[in-house]
Amino acid sequence: MNSKLTRSNLMGWQFVLLPSIIIVLFSFYPMIQSLFLSFQSGRGNVYHYSGMDNYVRLFGDPMFRQAVWNTLLYLVVQVPLMLFLGLIIAYFLNIPKLKFKGFYRTAIFLPCVTSLVSYAVLFKSIFAVDGVLNGMLLSIGLIHEPVVWLMDPVWARVVIVVAITWRWTGYNMIFYLSAMQNIDSSVYEAASIDGASKMRQFFSITVPMLRPIILFTAIISTNGTLQLFDEVVNLTNGGPGNSTMTISQYIYNLSFVYTPNFGYAATVSYAIVVMVAVLAFLQLKVGGEKK
Amino acid sequence: MKKRVSLLLLGTVTASLLAACGSSETTNTSGGTSNTTEPVGEAKQKVVAWAWDRAFNGGALDIAKELYAKDHPGFELEIVDMAKVDLEQKLNTNLASGVKGGLPDILLVNDPNIQKYVASYPGTFAEFTNKVDFSKFSPFKVDALTVDNKVYGVPFDIGVTGMFYRSDYIEQAGFKAADLENITWDRFIEIGKVVKEKTGKYMITMNPNDESLTSILLQSAGSWYITPDNKGNFVDNPAMTETLRVYKAIADAGIAKPVTGWSEYVGSFNSGDVATVVSGVWQVTGIMEAKDQSGKWKVAPIPKLNIDGAVNASNEGGSSWFVLEGSANKEAAMDFLATTIGGSSEFYERFLKEKGGVGSYIPAFSSEAYSQTSDFFGGQAIYTDFTKWSKEVPGISLGMYTQEAKDSLKNELPNILNGADLAKSLANIQKLFEQQVQ
Repeated sequence: MNSKLTRSNLMGWQFVLLPSIIIVLFSFYPMIQSLFLSFQSGRGNVYHYSGMDNYVRLFGDPMFRQAVWNTLLYLVVQVPLMLFLGLIIAYFLNIPKLKFKGFYRTAIFLPCVTSLVSYAVLFKSIFAVDGVLNGMLLSIGLIHEPVVWLMDPVWARVVIVVAITWRWTGYNMIFYLSAMQNIDSSVYEAASIDGASKMRQFFSITVPMLRPIILFTAIISTNGTLQLFDEVVNLTNGGPGNSTMTISQYIYNLSFVYTPNFGYAATVSYAIVVMVAVLAFLQLKVGGEKK
Repeated sequence: MKKRVSLLLLGTVTASLLAACGSSETTNTSGGTSNTTEPVGEAKQKVVAWAWDRAFNGGALDIAKELYAKDHPGFELEIVDMAKVDLEQKLNTNLASGVKGGLPDILLVNDPNIQKYVASYPGTFAEFTNKVDFSKFSPFKVDALTVDNKVYGVPFDIGVTGMFYRSDYIEQAGFKAADLENITWDRFIEIGKVVKEKTGKYMITMNPNDESLTSILLQSAGSWYITPDNKGNFVDNPAMTETLRVYKAIADAGIAKPVTGWSEYVGSFNSGDVATVVSGVWQVTGIMEAKDQSGKWKVAPIPKLNIDGAVNASNEGGSSWFVLEGSANKEAAMDFLATTIGGSSEFYERFLKEKGGVGSYIPAFSSEAYSQTSDFFGGQAIYTDFTKWSKEVPGISLGMYTQEAKDSLKNELPNILNGADLAKSLANIQKLFEQQVQ
């Protein structure tokens, strides 16, 4: 009995051994290395230990502050908007009487399979000065001068938020939809008999039942937004000014666009790590199961 | 799923590692044997070059290889084509990690990156100081390649600027070709207003996210975003103040069509929306894309800034060839570049005829290829003009931190365009730049 247990244990360990080695080698080792790197400064391959200098620089760096501000702005505006939209769409797509369900579901999920770069380029051409949107607005007389969407700090951010929302809402919607299908319909029946309106049912039954899924999507969306890169680089390349630059783009600039300072770039990456950890912790505290 | 992905990754990584080991071994052995048995240059060895734009830059290497192969029959060249951004990224990661195996022998480098690379990776790039007669090249190009009195590469194409203009629009507005020769930017704006009023066309395009116009203006006055000793050059710099004054004046005059990217920029003149394009000589191919506009274009010198030392000539872009110091085929690669791109008039004539590329090799300027006239540009001998202007381009040191300085400027540019106090804005930019480079 006892020896059998150890043997199956051994089998189990063998199964996890290979993935563990790979994870340690390709994930943990680079993480630790970059932590060491974040205490070094210099350029290219000329490095020296600089102690906490990079971290001191980080807190006084206006570019970094700008990047964090931009990223948090996307986070605060875009994530709730997208999750709420995903929830509403999932709710409507879950109505049993709805016709052409398959078509709608596919249509709304479809943006998720497009490549990040290609949809960003597409949005760029839509919002160009002589793009489709300006043409449309001009022809129906809503505006008289074309709007320079991507050159205005406010509109450029709006375009980015719209683009990410378009790309990712369907992705979150699928999670909600599958979770909704697991809610027992008898709960709704009982609520209807008790006279609860559809609105009331949505907020008092659907949303609480979906709580773990909402928490999950909130954490992965937060994580994704903090690492936002492709869309911004391709849509606005951080401009106008640096008003749409994200933290990831700043890291990229520090490593590959500017005179390479991989040490400071690693420091900035660690700032993201800390932010992700703190935000995920807060979300778990606020939205997690209370024991 | 995740596991499968990581396994797949492991597979590819191992495979590529093995491949890298294999290739580096073979190059080493072939380089080693040939070095000992045969004299350098005639050895049968394969030189590898990294470049972007296969047709243009790669095409130039093809021409050079053809010329070189006449005297060096065993010479083999492999051109690895990749996007410019990919090349730079790959180079940076390779050099920073210290892995030499995957690197090429020859490398195309964008001129603003030269000083940055040489300073960031000391001892990595081969020195050409005595291998090429640099007095035969335009001085501004050689200046860009010089770090501490050593020249690190072979000058390649240049971007001497001109003001391309639609002669039909200009005539409609009541001006003659002579009215556009050697003017100031203030005069340019006046003309632009008339053009806008009479023809409804914009005079020029403007993209606040792109620093090409400010760069052209600065270099035309012999100045740059940073000083040769890599300090910010924003405060107490008359050229910078004048550049931004002109930039704002163009924006305020309402004669500039806003564009947000390269394709919109090219689209604006291909579709006939703007009357002038101030750009490097390589823009000739872009302008000639619109076949229906043949005969309507002309080129004049760019307008100049209204300060001492400013000229009607500048440069936009251009690149050079580097050889890696640690490469197994270093001598062969250097000899190849030095005798072709670094010293062959024939190369530059063919480069212009076949690829439309302009170099900075002065002896080639008097050749027949450079004096040809172009029907598209109304019979103007445009290359004669461009090469004439190229000799007037002020030489500047591009320094190490050009990109950082440009981004600092970009940060403040919206405020400047909104009418903020220029002196104060420049002080802000200077401060931001100093924050950025420490």
